[in-house]
Amino acid sequence: MAGFLDTFGVVAQIALRNLFASRWKTLIVGGIIGFGAFLVVLGTSLLDSVDRAMSRSIIGSIAGNIQVYSSESKDDLDVMGGFSFDANQIEPLQDFARVKRTLLSVPNVSKVVPMGINGALVLSGNTVDQALARLRETVNKQKAAPNDSALADAYASEKDHVRQIVSVLSGDVEKARKLHDEKAIAAEDISVMKRASAAEFWADFDADPFDHLEFLENRIAPLATDADMLFLRYVGTDPKAFAQSFDRLTIVDGQAIPEGKRGFLFSKYTYEEQAKLRTARAFDKIHDGLKVRGKKIKGDADLERIARECGNQAKELMLQLDAPKTRLFRDKLQAYLKSGESDVRKLLDQFLRLNDENFDSRHAFFYRELAPSLELYRVRIGDTLTIKAFTRSGYVQSANLKVYGTFAFKGLEKSPQAGAMNLMDLVSFRELYGFMTEDKQREISAMRAKSGAKEVKREDAEAELFGNAEASAPAPAAAAPDDLGTALSGLSRTGSARAASTAAYAADQLTSGVILNAAVLVHDDKKLPETIAAIEAAGKRDGLPLKAISWQKAAGLIGQFAVLMRVVLFTAVLIIFVVALVIINNALVMATLERVRELGTLRAIGAQRRFILSMLVLESMVVGLVFGALGTALGAALVLFLGHQGIPAANDVFMFFFSGPRLYPALSGQNLGIALGIVLIVSVISSFYPAFIAMRVSPREAMQSED
Amino acid sequence: MKAIVSIENATKDYRLGKVVVNALRGVSIDVARGEFLSIAGPSGSGKTTLLTLIGCVDTPTTGTVEVAGRDTAKLSERELTSLRLNTIGFIFQSFNLVGVLDVFRNVELPLLLQRSLSAGERSKRVLSLLERVGLMEHVRHRPNELSGGQRQRVAIARALVTRPELVLADEPTANLDSVTGQNILDLRKELNRSEHSTFIFSTHDARVMSHASQIVRLADGKLAEGISTGPTVSELHEVSSAKA
Repeated sequence: MAGFLDTFGVVAQIALRNLFASRWKTLIVGGIIGFGAFLVVLGTSLLDSVDRAMSRSIIGSIAGNIQVYSSESKDDLDVMGGFSFDANQIEPLQDFARVKRTLLSVPNVSKVVPMGINGALVLSGNTVDQALARLRETVNKQKAAPNDSALADAYASEKDHVRQIVSVLSGDVEKARKLHDEKAIAAEDISVMKRASAAEFWADFDADPFDHLEFLENRIAPLATDADMLFLRYVGTDPKAFAQSFDRLTIVDGQAIPEGKRGFLFSKYTYEEQAKLRTARAFDKIHDGLKVRGKKIKGDADLERIARECGNQAKELMLQLDAPKTRLFRDKLQAYLKSGESDVRKLLDQFLRLNDENFDSRHAFFYRELAPSLELYRVRIGDTLTIKAFTRSGYVQSANLKVYGTFAFKGLEKSPQAGAMNLMDLVSFRELYGFMTEDKQREISAMRAKSGAKEVKREDAEAELFGNAEASAPAPAAAAPDDLGTALSGLSRTGSARAASTAAYAADQLTSGVILNAAVLVHDDKKLPETIAAIEAAGKRDGLPLKAISWQKAAGLIGQFAVLMRVVLFTAVLIIFVVALVIINNALVMATLERVRELGTLRAIGAQRRFILSMLVLESMVVGLVFGALGTALGAALVLFLGHQGIPAANDVFMFFFSGPRLYPALSGQNLGIALGIVLIVSVISSFYPAFIAMRVSPREAMQSED
Repeated sequence: MKAIVSIENATKDYRLGKVVVNALRGVSIDVARGEFLSIAGPSGSGKTTLLTLIGCVDTPTTGTVEVAGRDTAKLSERELTSLRLNTIGFIFQSFNLVGVLDVFRNVELPLLLQRSLSAGERSKRVLSLLERVGLMEHVRHRPNELSGGQRQRVAIARALVTRPELVLADEPTANLDSVTGQNILDLRKELNRSEHSTFIFSTHDARVMSHASQIVRLADGKLAEGISTGPTVSELHEVSSAKA
């Protein structure tokens, strides 16, 4: 043993001395190895942290640990992506009560939340429509109470507001006519505008308000382009179970959907992003850019664009201004801008020209002085939102839902991914998706009986409508089969949908009935694969076609992000180490060839081949260990530093990946071990070929004369 | 007493590309223990090749080479290495010291490879040898800090540290001035007396040959006519006239 240690001692001594003797080689090889180790430590630590953060984001916001859906579905479930209507064909699971019972029979399952995910385009009310509607209502009321002075004042003010809107729109059409080719603007639009702006039109208004209102509603309102399409993705769920299972959920404005009520909750992000007045949104975004991210408008492409667009948004404010507000704005803006200009539009145009110097003051002025008189959101909390969605079979179903408030997930307030999903009750979701509740079916059959509509199969629909001459009688109700095979008429559809907004529902409708998918939360998230297998087995046992997927899969591409990044990282590391392997190998082969005489001498005086082999492998291992440790330590130091400082999320997308505004990477011993292991293996492998060459060096080499 | 080296009609062919070089063409020599054999001959006559066969660094193409009673052609690579380590000491023409090790370590190296002595015993033996070759002041020096003669003495010390039965030297005086060369020869004589080792030197230095107990002359890979057991009269004459 002592002999072995002594031999090892001399091997080590020769090896180390050799390393020092050829410093350049050692440094190059060591540098590569050190860099590789550094990269592995840093990369794996960052990825692990992102993985953890993302799992928090995804599990905590909507996916849960496991998602369950029907194994008969054509597509894979994707709770985060899938921004088109027909992306995910998910077969419904007919009875949630049974599904829940089966799921809860699996030991690791703690909570089950019923879900359905879909998206719809929603037309938010346009200012013109709303102003006209208010005026019509006042006119109606006035009819009933002609002498009410308050109503007369309201009438005058609202009429003024409409007239203001018309003049704004007319100005727009005029501007467009000047800007574009004359022919681009329909001649009819111009004449319509002319008529509505004419003094006579308004002089005659009082005489026949309904006639004039109709003209405005039908001809002028469509010319206003401020009506916005909101694209809303929503999850229909049991609001109470959802809030209990996803504890990162917080109500920001308003209140949660009350138990047993139909309703809609905006995600705060969507609400701000889509429903807020563009001007206000621009102020918010620039403020965020300047204060939170420390940028300047000038030089930042994004902020410059927002500021420029904001300068053209005076119109959307103008449309909101009735006569008193117009006066108010004129006075305030004149004072603020120290301007003698009397045209509010021009004052607003000037006010909205934002730059780094004036922004702070104007931002404060906007929110302090102007905003209180403005409707900041297109959809107000408490409003009823009409959602029109395509059902599975492709016809349009609509529901009127009260907007109870907005919500956000803690730490993910600014994440577009987490913020894209809005909430509604499961019962309304089912209707929008084309499933009938029992109540509704009863209602429909009653209506059908009354209207004389009959059930028509899809194949026969055409014959019923056009082909069959005998089908006379009152125009047959347009037949569109729903998913349960019942044809229902357009009449009954709208009828029932109107009712939806106010109707409550029985509690058992949430605990049973059709769902598309369910989020499962588990006690121990380290046992996901086992739990997934157990869920599918339980489904088979109970005759339910259950498919269970992990949150990573359920989140689609986003969930695979960490896996993807890992593949990219390890490919990069692999390439670096293959290159390192080649370089190290070459350097060692060259070094070996330089040492042929020394190696031959060692062999001649009695060193066995394995002595030579161990000497060279030891050299490589020492280089690998020393520089690997150095690189690892450097990587670890950087990770610790970043873990202390946090890596700021560069934009909103990173907020999601970081599960908050900053990522705090943590160091794990496992990553250090992996890094050291890899460099050690690489350095040993890279010494094999040179060591092989060295082993083959004949002791005769020692006898050759020097030349 | 049996010969320590017994060579029977040994040939050695080398392949240099497509050309086969017949480096040795049938040589027979017996060397008794304690003898000092000098192998003489011009460059390319096969001196070094003969030395590699005796030194168990190579094996003959035909014929037999027996070293310490063992037929080298029948030994494995490992056994040959082991034979070299334990039986033979090498002194190379260009010394071949390990540049990264100091004098002490260079001399100790064969003992470390043998793994038979304790550190204390090794140290004692190395130092006593270094004292005898007069390098006590240079124990911790690296080879590149030494003169040619000093290096040669380190090489000799390394060759003798295992107390080998057979010491081989390839042109040991070729790279040395005449005074140092003479010192080397004196040292050999002294060691021969004390250790009873057998010495085989390849050389064309007449002075070396003058000390030899047996001289073989090689020419074209064969023994030249007339094997002498000791320096010839004319050679002695040459030596004395060279000295004069």
